[in-house]
Amino acid sequence: MKFVSVLFLLLSSVLLHAQDAKSLLRNVNKKFLAVNDYKAAVFMKFNIPGVKIKNMNGQVMYKRPNKFRVKANGIFFLPKQNPMQNMSQILMDTNAYTAVFSGNEVVQGMACAVVNLVPLQSNNEIILGRFWIDSKSALVLKSQITTKNNGTIETENRFGALGKYALPDRMLITVEVAKIKVPKMLAADLNKKSTDKSTATNTREKGTIELLLSDYKLNQKLSDAEFVETQ
Amino acid sequence: MSSFKNIYINEWIKTMKRPRSYIGFAIIIFICGMLQSAFYHDGKEILSFVTQSLENSFDINGTILNGNLICFILLQTLIVQLPLLVAFVTGDMVSGETSSGTIRFLLTRPASRTKIIIAKWLAGLTYTFFLLIVLGVMALFVARGVFGNGDLMALNSEGLTIVPADDLGWRWFYALCIAFLSLSVVATLSLFFSCILDNSITPIVTVMAIIIIFTIIGMFDIPSFDVIKPFLFTTHMISWKSLFEDPIPFADIRFSCIVLGVHLVVLLGLSLYFFNKKDISS
Repeated sequence: MKFVSVLFLLLSSVLLHAQDAKSLLRNVNKKFLAVNDYKAAVFMKFNIPGVKIKNMNGQVMYKRPNKFRVKANGIFFLPKQNPMQNMSQILMDTNAYTAVFSGNEVVQGMACAVVNLVPLQSNNEIILGRFWIDSKSALVLKSQITTKNNGTIETENRFGALGKYALPDRMLITVEVAKIKVPKMLAADLNKKSTDKSTATNTREKGTIELLLSDYKLNQKLSDAEFVETQ
Repeated sequence: MSSFKNIYINEWIKTMKRPRSYIGFAIIIFICGMLQSAFYHDGKEILSFVTQSLENSFDINGTILNGNLICFILLQTLIVQLPLLVAFVTGDMVSGETSSGTIRFLLTRPASRTKIIIAKWLAGLTYTFFLLIVLGVMALFVARGVFGNGDLMALNSEGLTIVPADDLGWRWFYALCIAFLSLSVVATLSLFFSCILDNSITPIVTVMAIIIIFTIIGMFDIPSFDVIKPFLFTTHMISWKSLFEDPIPFADIRFSCIVLGVHLVVLLGLSLYFFNKKDISS
Protein backbone atom coordinates (compact mmCIF):
# COMPACT_ATOMS: atom_id res chain seq x y z
CA MET A 1 0.00 0.00 0.00
CA LYS A 2 2.86 2.29 0.97
CA PHE A 3 4.63 1.43 -2.28
CA VAL A 4 1.52 2.28 -4.35
CA SER A 5 1.18 5.62 -2.57
CA VAL A 6 4.82 6.50 -3.24
CA LEU A 7 4.45 5.48 -6.90
CA PHE A 8 1.27 7.55 -7.19
CA LEU A 9 3.01 10.54 -5.67
CA LEU A 10 5.98 10.17 -7.99
CA LEU A 11 3.80 9.81 -11.10
CA SER A 12 1.59 12.73 -10.20
CA SER A 13 4.67 14.88 -9.56
CA VAL A 14 6.09 13.96 -12.98
CA LEU A 15 2.73 14.70 -14.64
CA LEU A 16 2.44 17.98 -12.77
CA HIS A 17 5.94 18.99 -13.91
CA ALA A 18 5.13 18.02 -17.49
CA GLN A 19 2.02 20.14 -17.29
CA ASP A 20 4.04 23.03 -15.80
CA ALA A 21 6.54 22.77 -18.63
CA LYS A 22 3.81 22.77 -21.29
CA SER A 23 2.02 25.77 -19.78
CA LEU A 24 5.34 27.63 -19.54
CA LEU A 25 5.99 26.89 -23.20
CA ARG A 26 2.50 28.05 -24.10
CA ASN A 27 3.31 31.39 -22.45
CA VAL A 28 6.54 31.61 -24.45
CA ASN A 29 4.63 30.81 -27.65
CA LYS A 30 2.12 33.58 -27.00
CA LYS A 31 4.96 36.07 -27.40
CA PHE A 32 6.08 34.57 -30.69
CA LEU A 33 2.52 34.71 -32.04
CA ALA A 34 2.38 38.50 -31.83
CA VAL A 35 5.00 38.83 -34.59
CA ASN A 36 4.19 37.81 -38.15
CA ASP A 37 7.37 39.16 -39.64
CA TYR A 38 10.27 41.38 -38.71
CA LYS A 39 13.31 43.09 -40.12
CA ALA A 40 16.27 44.23 -38.01
CA ALA A 41 19.81 45.48 -38.35
CA VAL A 42 22.39 42.97 -37.18
CA PHE A 43 26.04 43.35 -36.24
CA MET A 44 27.86 40.03 -36.37
CA LYS A 45 31.01 39.19 -34.42
CA PHE A 46 32.72 35.93 -35.28
CA ASN A 47 35.11 33.88 -33.20
CA ILE A 48 35.48 30.64 -35.09
CA PRO A 49 38.57 28.46 -34.56
CA GLY A 50 40.72 28.40 -37.68
CA VAL A 51 38.76 31.19 -39.37
CA LYS A 52 39.73 34.84 -39.25
CA ILE A 53 36.80 37.00 -40.28
CA LYS A 54 36.05 40.63 -39.59
CA ASN A 55 32.91 41.82 -37.81
CA MET A 56 30.11 42.56 -40.20
CA ASN A 57 26.89 44.55 -40.50
CA GLY A 58 23.81 43.06 -42.09
CA GLN A 59 20.09 42.76 -42.01
CA VAL A 60 18.01 39.96 -40.56
CA MET A 61 14.51 39.11 -41.80
CA TYR A 62 11.89 36.68 -40.57
CA LYS A 63 8.44 35.77 -41.80
CA ARG A 64 6.07 33.29 -40.25
CA PRO A 65 6.09 30.32 -40.35
CA ASN A 66 9.65 29.51 -41.39
CA LYS A 67 11.16 32.09 -43.71
CA PHE A 68 14.43 33.48 -42.43
CA ARG A 69 17.35 35.29 -44.01
CA VAL A 70 20.44 37.18 -42.96
CA LYS A 71 21.50 39.61 -45.69
CA ALA A 72 25.07 40.97 -45.69
CA ASN A 73 27.75 41.85 -48.19
CA GLY A 74 30.44 39.21 -48.43
CA ILE A 75 31.25 35.86 -46.88
CA PHE A 76 29.91 35.10 -43.41
CA PHE A 77 29.02 32.10 -41.31
CA LEU A 78 25.82 31.16 -39.51
CA PRO A 79 25.10 27.96 -37.60
CA LYS A 80 23.58 25.19 -39.67
CA GLN A 81 20.79 24.78 -37.12
CA ASN A 82 20.17 28.47 -36.81
CA PRO A 83 18.70 29.00 -33.33
CA MET A 84 17.08 32.28 -34.38
CA GLN A 85 15.24 30.51 -37.14
CA ASN A 86 14.48 27.33 -35.30
CA MET A 87 13.61 28.29 -31.77
CA SER A 88 10.13 29.55 -32.59
CA GLN A 89 9.58 26.58 -34.92
CA ILE A 90 10.69 24.06 -32.31
CA LEU A 91 8.64 25.53 -29.51
CA MET A 92 5.49 26.25 -31.54
CA ASP A 93 4.80 22.67 -32.56
CA THR A 94 3.83 21.41 -29.11
CA ASN A 95 2.71 18.01 -30.45
CA ALA A 96 6.13 17.24 -31.87
CA TYR A 97 7.89 16.78 -28.55
CA THR A 98 7.62 15.80 -24.93
CA ALA A 99 8.41 18.61 -22.50
CA VAL A 100 9.95 17.75 -19.14
CA PHE A 101 10.63 20.23 -16.38
CA SER A 102 14.06 19.43 -14.99
CA GLY A 103 14.71 22.02 -12.29
CA ASN A 104 15.61 25.63 -11.72
CA GLU A 105 18.84 27.45 -12.52
CA VAL A 106 20.03 31.03 -12.40
CA VAL A 107 20.86 32.55 -15.81
CA GLN A 108 21.86 36.23 -16.20
CA GLY A 109 20.94 36.68 -12.55
CA MET A 110 17.38 35.48 -13.07
CA ALA A 111 15.79 32.29 -11.77
CA CYS A 112 14.94 30.14 -14.76
CA ALA A 113 12.96 26.96 -15.20
CA VAL A 114 14.90 24.37 -17.16
CA VAL A 115 12.71 22.53 -19.66
CA ASN A 116 13.92 19.60 -21.71
CA LEU A 117 12.25 18.86 -25.03
CA VAL A 118 12.53 15.39 -26.50
CA PRO A 119 11.24 15.08 -30.08
CA LEU A 120 8.68 12.32 -30.54
CA GLN A 121 9.77 11.46 -34.08
CA SER A 122 13.01 9.51 -34.34
CA ASN A 123 13.86 10.94 -37.78
CA ASN A 124 14.18 14.44 -36.30
CA GLU A 125 17.59 16.10 -36.70
CA ILE A 126 17.28 17.43 -33.16
CA ILE A 127 17.97 14.86 -30.46
CA LEU A 128 17.34 17.04 -27.41
CA GLY A 129 16.42 20.64 -26.74
CA ARG A 130 17.07 22.28 -23.40
CA PHE A 131 15.57 25.69 -22.62
CA TRP A 132 16.20 27.99 -19.68
CA ILE A 133 13.00 30.01 -19.39
CA ASP A 134 12.46 33.00 -17.13
CA SER A 135 9.02 32.09 -15.82
CA LYS A 136 8.20 35.71 -14.88
CA SER A 137 8.74 37.16 -18.35
CA ALA A 138 8.26 33.89 -20.28
CA LEU A 139 11.49 34.50 -22.21
CA VAL A 140 14.02 31.90 -23.29
CA LEU A 141 17.29 33.22 -21.85
CA LYS A 142 19.36 30.26 -22.88
CA SER A 143 18.93 27.21 -25.07
CA GLN A 144 20.97 24.17 -25.88
CA ILE A 145 20.05 22.12 -28.93
CA THR A 146 21.78 18.80 -29.50
CA THR A 147 21.64 17.61 -33.10
CA LYS A 148 22.45 14.32 -34.77
CA ASN A 149 25.07 15.62 -37.17
CA ASN A 150 26.15 19.07 -36.05
CA GLY A 151 26.90 18.66 -32.37
CA THR A 152 25.47 20.97 -29.75
CA ILE A 153 24.43 24.58 -30.37
CA GLU A 154 24.13 26.79 -27.34
CA THR A 155 22.42 30.18 -27.47
CA GLU A 156 22.28 32.89 -24.87
CA ASN A 157 19.75 35.68 -25.41
CA ARG A 158 19.60 39.11 -23.85
CA PHE A 159 16.36 41.01 -24.18
CA GLY A 160 15.67 44.72 -24.22
CA ALA A 161 12.66 46.79 -25.17
CA LEU A 162 11.28 44.17 -27.54
CA GLY A 163 11.37 41.43 -24.93
CA LYS A 164 7.59 41.53 -24.94
CA TYR A 165 7.75 39.97 -28.43
CA ALA A 166 10.56 37.57 -27.46
CA LEU A 167 12.92 39.40 -29.82
CA PRO A 168 16.45 39.57 -28.40
CA ASP A 169 18.92 42.48 -28.57
CA ARG A 170 21.89 40.21 -28.30
CA MET A 171 22.44 36.55 -29.10
CA LEU A 172 25.59 34.61 -28.34
CA ILE A 173 25.64 31.39 -30.29
CA THR A 174 28.20 28.75 -29.37
CA VAL A 175 28.81 25.97 -31.88
CA GLU A 176 31.06 22.94 -31.89
CA VAL A 177 33.42 23.10 -34.86
CA ALA A 178 35.64 20.37 -36.26
CA LYS A 179 39.25 21.45 -36.61
CA ILE A 180 40.02 22.92 -40.04
CA LYS A 181 42.98 21.36 -41.71
CA VAL A 182 44.07 22.90 -45.00
CA PRO A 183 46.51 20.56 -46.78
CA LYS A 184 49.98 22.12 -46.91
CA MET A 185 50.13 21.67 -50.67
CA LEU A 186 46.77 23.41 -51.19
CA ALA A 187 47.73 26.20 -48.82
CA ALA A 188 51.15 26.37 -50.53
CA ASP A 189 52.74 27.25 -47.19
CA LEU A 190 55.76 25.23 -48.18
CA ASN A 191 58.10 27.18 -45.96
CA LYS A 192 55.82 27.80 -43.00
CA LYS A 193 56.56 25.87 -39.85
CA SER A 194 53.49 24.12 -38.51
CA THR A 195 52.53 25.47 -35.09
CA ASP A 196 49.93 22.77 -34.49
CA LYS A 197 51.51 19.66 -33.02
CA SER A 198 48.27 17.82 -32.32
CA THR A 199 47.75 14.62 -34.28
CA ALA A 200 44.03 14.22 -33.57
CA THR A 201 42.03 14.89 -36.72
CA ASN A 202 38.49 14.77 -35.30
CA THR A 203 38.94 17.22 -32.42
CA ARG A 204 36.07 19.67 -31.99
CA GLU A 205 36.50 23.16 -30.66
CA LYS A 206 33.96 25.76 -29.62
CA GLY A 207 33.28 28.71 -31.87
CA THR A 208 31.03 31.66 -31.12
CA ILE A 209 28.97 34.05 -33.21
CA GLU A 210 27.60 37.11 -31.49
CA LEU A 211 24.63 38.86 -33.05
CA LEU A 212 23.71 42.35 -31.90
CA LEU A 213 20.25 43.18 -33.13
CA SER A 214 18.74 46.63 -33.32
CA ASP A 215 16.28 48.77 -35.24
CA TYR A 216 13.54 46.13 -35.31
CA LYS A 217 10.65 46.73 -37.68
CA LEU A 218 7.72 44.48 -36.86
CA ASN A 219 4.87 43.25 -39.02
CA GLN A 220 5.87 45.11 -42.18
CA LYS A 221 4.22 42.49 -44.44
CA LEU A 222 7.52 41.38 -45.95
CA SER A 223 7.20 39.80 -49.38
CA ASP A 224 8.50 36.28 -50.03
CA ALA A 225 10.81 37.68 -52.69
CA GLU A 226 12.95 39.29 -49.99
CA PHE A 227 13.89 35.85 -48.72
CA VAL A 228 15.22 34.63 -52.06
CA GLU A 229 19.01 34.45 -52.13
CA THR A 230 20.54 35.96 -55.24
CA GLN A 231 24.10 35.04 -56.29
CA MET B 1 73.07 58.25 -70.83
CA SER B 2 71.65 57.93 -74.34
CA SER B 3 74.27 55.28 -75.13
CA PHE B 4 73.12 53.31 -72.11
CA LYS B 5 69.52 53.70 -73.26
CA ASN B 6 70.50 52.36 -76.69
CA ILE B 7 72.27 49.39 -75.16
CA TYR B 8 69.22 48.68 -73.01
CA ILE B 9 66.83 48.91 -75.97
CA ASN B 10 69.16 46.71 -77.97
CA GLU B 11 69.20 44.10 -75.18
CA TRP B 12 65.42 44.25 -74.85
CA ILE B 13 64.98 43.74 -78.63
CA LYS B 14 67.42 40.82 -78.49
CA THR B 15 65.44 39.28 -75.64
CA MET B 16 62.11 39.63 -77.39
CA LYS B 17 63.47 38.39 -80.74
CA ARG B 18 64.23 34.99 -79.25
CA PRO B 19 61.29 32.59 -79.67
CA ARG B 20 61.94 31.09 -76.22
CA SER B 21 60.93 34.39 -74.61
CA TYR B 22 57.34 33.77 -75.66
CA ILE B 23 57.20 30.29 -74.14
CA GLY B 24 56.77 31.86 -70.67
CA PHE B 25 53.81 33.99 -71.77
CA ALA B 26 52.23 31.01 -73.55
CA ILE B 27 52.66 28.77 -70.46
CA ILE B 28 51.13 31.38 -68.15
CA ILE B 29 48.13 31.92 -70.43
CA PHE B 30 47.69 28.16 -70.88
CA ILE B 31 47.93 27.31 -67.15
CA CYS B 32 45.62 30.18 -66.15
CA GLY B 33 43.06 29.19 -68.78
CA MET B 34 43.28 25.51 -67.85
CA LEU B 35 42.91 26.07 -64.09
CA GLN B 36 40.12 28.63 -64.53
CA SER B 37 38.24 26.18 -66.72
CA ALA B 38 38.77 23.40 -64.13
CA PHE B 39 37.52 25.65 -61.31
CA TYR B 40 34.58 26.78 -63.41
CA HIS B 41 33.39 23.19 -63.74
CA ASP B 42 34.56 21.53 -60.50
CA GLY B 43 35.47 24.46 -58.25
CA LYS B 44 32.78 23.79 -55.66
CA GLU B 45 33.87 20.16 -55.20
CA ILE B 46 37.54 21.19 -54.95
CA LEU B 47 36.72 23.80 -52.32
CA SER B 48 34.56 21.43 -50.34
CA PHE B 49 37.77 19.59 -49.34
CA VAL B 50 38.72 22.70 -47.40
CA THR B 51 35.32 23.85 -46.17
CA GLN B 52 33.89 20.39 -45.38
CA SER B 53 34.60 20.52 -41.65
CA LEU B 54 33.12 24.03 -41.44
CA GLU B 55 30.06 23.15 -43.49
CA ASN B 56 29.13 20.48 -40.94
CA SER B 57 28.50 23.24 -38.41
CA PHE B 58 27.88 26.36 -40.49
CA ASP B 59 26.02 27.63 -43.47
CA ILE B 60 28.61 29.56 -45.44
CA ASN B 61 26.86 32.61 -46.89
CA GLY B 62 28.24 34.57 -49.82
CA THR B 63 30.15 33.50 -52.91
CA ILE B 64 33.40 31.77 -51.97
CA LEU B 65 34.31 30.78 -55.50
CA ASN B 66 35.06 34.18 -57.00
CA GLY B 67 37.75 35.84 -59.09
CA ASN B 68 39.84 36.81 -56.08
CA LEU B 69 40.07 33.24 -54.77
CA ILE B 70 40.95 31.96 -58.25
CA CYS B 71 43.67 34.62 -58.53
CA PHE B 72 45.02 33.67 -55.08
CA ILE B 73 45.19 29.97 -56.00
CA LEU B 74 46.74 30.73 -59.41
CA LEU B 75 49.39 33.03 -57.93
CA GLN B 76 50.41 30.59 -55.24
CA THR B 77 50.58 27.79 -57.82
CA LEU B 78 52.45 29.74 -60.47
CA ILE B 79 54.83 31.64 -58.24
CA VAL B 80 56.67 28.33 -57.71
CA GLN B 81 56.93 27.69 -61.46
CA LEU B 82 57.51 31.26 -62.62
CA PRO B 83 61.20 31.36 -61.56
CA LEU B 84 61.88 28.54 -64.00
CA LEU B 85 60.35 30.59 -66.83
CA VAL B 86 62.40 33.63 -65.82
CA ALA B 87 65.64 31.62 -65.62
CA PHE B 88 64.87 30.13 -69.03
CA VAL B 89 65.27 33.57 -70.62
CA THR B 90 67.68 35.41 -68.32
CA GLY B 91 69.99 32.41 -67.83
CA ASP B 92 71.68 32.74 -71.19
CA MET B 93 71.77 36.51 -71.58
CA VAL B 94 75.56 36.53 -71.27
CA SER B 95 76.52 32.87 -71.62
CA GLY B 96 74.46 32.55 -74.81
CA GLU B 97 76.47 35.35 -76.37
CA THR B 98 79.72 33.88 -75.02
CA SER B 99 79.03 30.47 -76.53
CA SER B 100 77.91 31.94 -79.88
CA GLY B 101 80.82 34.39 -79.99
CA THR B 102 78.72 37.55 -80.34
CA ILE B 103 80.04 38.79 -76.98
CA ARG B 104 83.26 39.86 -78.76
CA PHE B 105 81.31 42.21 -81.04
CA LEU B 106 79.31 43.51 -78.10
CA LEU B 107 82.44 44.38 -76.16
CA THR B 108 84.05 46.20 -79.07
CA ARG B 109 81.50 48.99 -78.48
CA PRO B 110 82.68 51.98 -76.46
CA ALA B 111 80.26 51.25 -73.60
CA SER B 112 81.79 49.84 -70.43
CA ARG B 113 81.22 46.24 -69.37
CA THR B 114 79.34 47.55 -66.32
CA LYS B 115 76.88 49.41 -68.56
CA ILE B 116 76.41 46.35 -70.75
CA ILE B 117 75.68 44.04 -67.81
CA ILE B 118 73.33 46.56 -66.17
CA ALA B 119 71.48 46.93 -69.49
CA LYS B 120 71.17 43.15 -69.76
CA TRP B 121 69.98 42.98 -66.15
CA LEU B 122 67.35 45.66 -66.75
CA ALA B 123 66.20 43.90 -69.92
CA GLY B 124 65.81 40.73 -67.83
CA LEU B 125 63.82 42.61 -65.19
CA THR B 126 61.61 44.16 -67.88
CA TYR B 127 60.89 40.69 -69.22
CA THR B 128 60.07 39.51 -65.66
CA PHE B 129 57.81 42.54 -65.21
CA PHE B 130 55.83 41.74 -68.34
CA LEU B 131 55.54 38.08 -67.31
CA LEU B 132 53.98 39.25 -64.04
CA ILE B 133 51.70 41.69 -65.84
CA VAL B 134 50.40 38.87 -68.04
CA LEU B 135 49.96 36.71 -64.94
CA GLY B 136 48.16 39.53 -63.11
CA VAL B 137 45.82 40.22 -66.02
CA MET B 138 45.06 36.54 -66.58
CA ALA B 139 44.79 35.57 -62.94
CA LEU B 140 42.97 38.60 -61.54
CA PHE B 141 41.10 40.46 -64.24
CA VAL B 142 40.10 37.49 -66.41
CA ALA B 143 39.15 35.49 -63.29
CA ARG B 144 37.06 38.41 -61.96
CA GLY B 145 35.38 38.64 -65.37
CA VAL B 146 34.51 34.95 -65.32
CA PHE B 147 33.82 34.30 -61.62
CA GLY B 148 32.91 37.80 -60.41
CA ASN B 149 34.30 39.86 -57.56
CA GLY B 150 33.84 39.11 -53.85
CA ASP B 151 35.50 38.55 -50.48
CA LEU B 152 38.65 36.47 -50.60
CA MET B 153 38.85 33.26 -48.59
CA ALA B 154 42.63 33.09 -48.26
CA LEU B 155 43.93 29.60 -47.53
CA ASN B 156 46.88 28.94 -45.29
CA SER B 157 47.97 25.93 -43.29
CA GLU B 158 46.66 27.49 -40.05
CA GLY B 159 43.14 27.94 -41.45
CA LEU B 160 41.19 30.50 -43.43
CA THR B 161 41.19 34.28 -43.50
CA ILE B 162 38.27 36.14 -45.03
CA VAL B 163 39.46 39.40 -46.58
CA PRO B 164 36.69 41.85 -47.61
CA ALA B 165 36.54 42.63 -51.34
CA ASP B 166 36.98 46.39 -50.81
CA ASP B 167 40.22 45.76 -48.90
CA LEU B 168 41.88 43.71 -51.63
CA GLY B 169 43.06 46.22 -54.26
CA TRP B 170 46.13 47.46 -52.41
CA ARG B 171 46.96 43.93 -51.21
CA TRP B 172 47.05 42.62 -54.79
CA PHE B 173 49.23 45.56 -55.85
CA TYR B 174 51.81 44.95 -53.10
CA ALA B 175 51.58 41.18 -53.60
CA LEU B 176 52.61 41.65 -57.24
CA CYS B 177 55.39 44.05 -56.14
CA ILE B 178 56.80 41.42 -53.74
CA ALA B 179 56.42 38.76 -56.45
CA PHE B 180 58.37 41.04 -58.80
CA LEU B 181 61.14 41.47 -56.20
CA SER B 182 61.30 37.69 -55.73
CA LEU B 183 61.50 37.01 -59.46
CA SER B 184 64.09 39.77 -59.86
CA VAL B 185 66.32 37.81 -57.48
CA VAL B 186 65.92 34.75 -59.72
CA ALA B 187 66.66 36.85 -62.82
CA THR B 188 69.80 38.24 -61.13
CA LEU B 189 70.90 34.78 -59.98
CA SER B 190 70.55 33.55 -63.57
CA LEU B 191 72.54 36.53 -64.83
CA PHE B 192 75.27 35.79 -62.27
CA PHE B 193 75.63 32.19 -63.46
CA SER B 194 75.41 33.40 -67.01
CA CYS B 195 78.41 35.63 -66.35
CA ILE B 196 80.61 32.93 -64.86
CA LEU B 197 79.67 30.05 -67.17
CA ASP B 198 80.29 29.93 -70.88
CA ASN B 199 77.71 27.33 -71.75
CA SER B 200 74.22 28.51 -72.69
CA ILE B 201 72.24 25.73 -70.93
CA THR B 202 74.25 25.21 -67.72
CA PRO B 203 73.23 28.50 -66.02
CA ILE B 204 69.53 27.74 -66.63
CA VAL B 205 69.85 24.21 -65.26
CA THR B 206 71.93 25.42 -62.29
CA VAL B 207 69.33 28.02 -61.31
CA MET B 208 66.53 25.48 -61.65
CA ALA B 209 68.51 23.02 -59.48
CA ILE B 210 69.09 25.69 -56.82
CA ILE B 211 65.41 26.59 -56.72
CA ILE B 212 64.37 22.94 -56.46
CA ILE B 213 66.91 22.20 -53.67
CA PHE B 214 66.03 25.33 -51.68
CA THR B 215 62.29 24.63 -52.04
CA ILE B 216 62.78 21.06 -50.79
CA ILE B 217 64.77 22.36 -47.80
CA GLY B 218 61.89 24.75 -47.07
CA MET B 219 59.26 22.04 -47.25
CA PHE B 220 60.53 19.96 -44.35
CA ASP B 221 60.14 20.88 -40.69
CA ILE B 222 63.63 19.59 -39.80
CA PRO B 223 65.39 21.51 -36.99
CA SER B 224 68.81 21.47 -38.71
CA PHE B 225 67.26 23.17 -41.77
CA ASP B 226 65.68 25.89 -39.60
CA VAL B 227 69.07 27.61 -39.25
CA ILE B 228 69.52 28.19 -42.97
CA LYS B 229 65.86 28.59 -44.02
CA PRO B 230 65.58 32.33 -43.18
CA PHE B 231 68.51 33.09 -45.51
CA LEU B 232 67.26 31.20 -48.55
CA PHE B 233 65.56 33.44 -51.09
CA THR B 234 62.98 30.74 -51.83
CA THR B 235 61.72 31.02 -48.23
CA HIS B 236 60.75 34.62 -48.91
CA MET B 237 59.36 34.17 -52.40
CA ILE B 238 55.87 33.46 -51.08
CA SER B 239 55.94 36.21 -48.47
CA TRP B 240 53.33 38.03 -50.63
CA LYS B 241 50.81 35.59 -49.10
CA SER B 242 51.30 37.25 -45.71
CA LEU B 243 49.50 40.31 -47.10
CA PHE B 244 46.33 38.26 -46.96
CA GLU B 245 46.65 37.37 -43.28
CA ASP B 246 44.91 39.11 -40.41
CA PRO B 247 46.70 40.87 -38.79
CA ILE B 248 49.27 41.41 -41.53
CA PRO B 249 52.76 40.48 -40.24
CA PHE B 250 54.44 43.63 -41.62
CA ALA B 251 57.70 42.93 -39.75
CA ASP B 252 58.01 39.51 -41.43
CA ILE B 253 57.22 41.01 -44.84
CA ARG B 254 59.81 43.76 -44.28
CA PHE B 255 62.41 41.13 -43.31
CA SER B 256 61.58 39.09 -46.42
CA CYS B 257 61.96 42.16 -48.64
CA ILE B 258 65.31 42.98 -47.01
CA VAL B 259 66.59 39.42 -47.53
CA LEU B 260 65.45 39.49 -51.16
CA GLY B 261 66.95 42.97 -51.63
CA VAL B 262 70.31 41.86 -50.18
CA HIS B 263 70.31 38.83 -52.49
CA LEU B 264 69.61 41.13 -55.43
CA VAL B 265 72.39 43.59 -54.64
CA VAL B 266 74.99 40.91 -53.81
CA LEU B 267 74.20 38.85 -56.92
CA LEU B 268 74.27 41.92 -59.17
CA GLY B 269 77.56 42.99 -57.60
CA LEU B 270 79.04 39.53 -58.14
CA SER B 271 77.77 39.52 -61.76
CA LEU B 272 79.48 42.89 -62.39
CA TYR B 273 82.68 41.72 -60.71
CA PHE B 274 82.91 38.47 -62.67
CA PHE B 275 81.87 40.03 -66.00
CA ASN B 276 84.43 42.82 -65.64
CA LYS B 277 87.12 40.20 -64.87
CA LYS B 278 85.94 37.83 -67.57
CA ASP B 279 88.51 36.79 -70.10
CA ILE B 280 86.79 36.64 -73.49
CA SER B 281 88.58 33.89 -75.31
CA SER B 282 85.84 32.52 -77.58
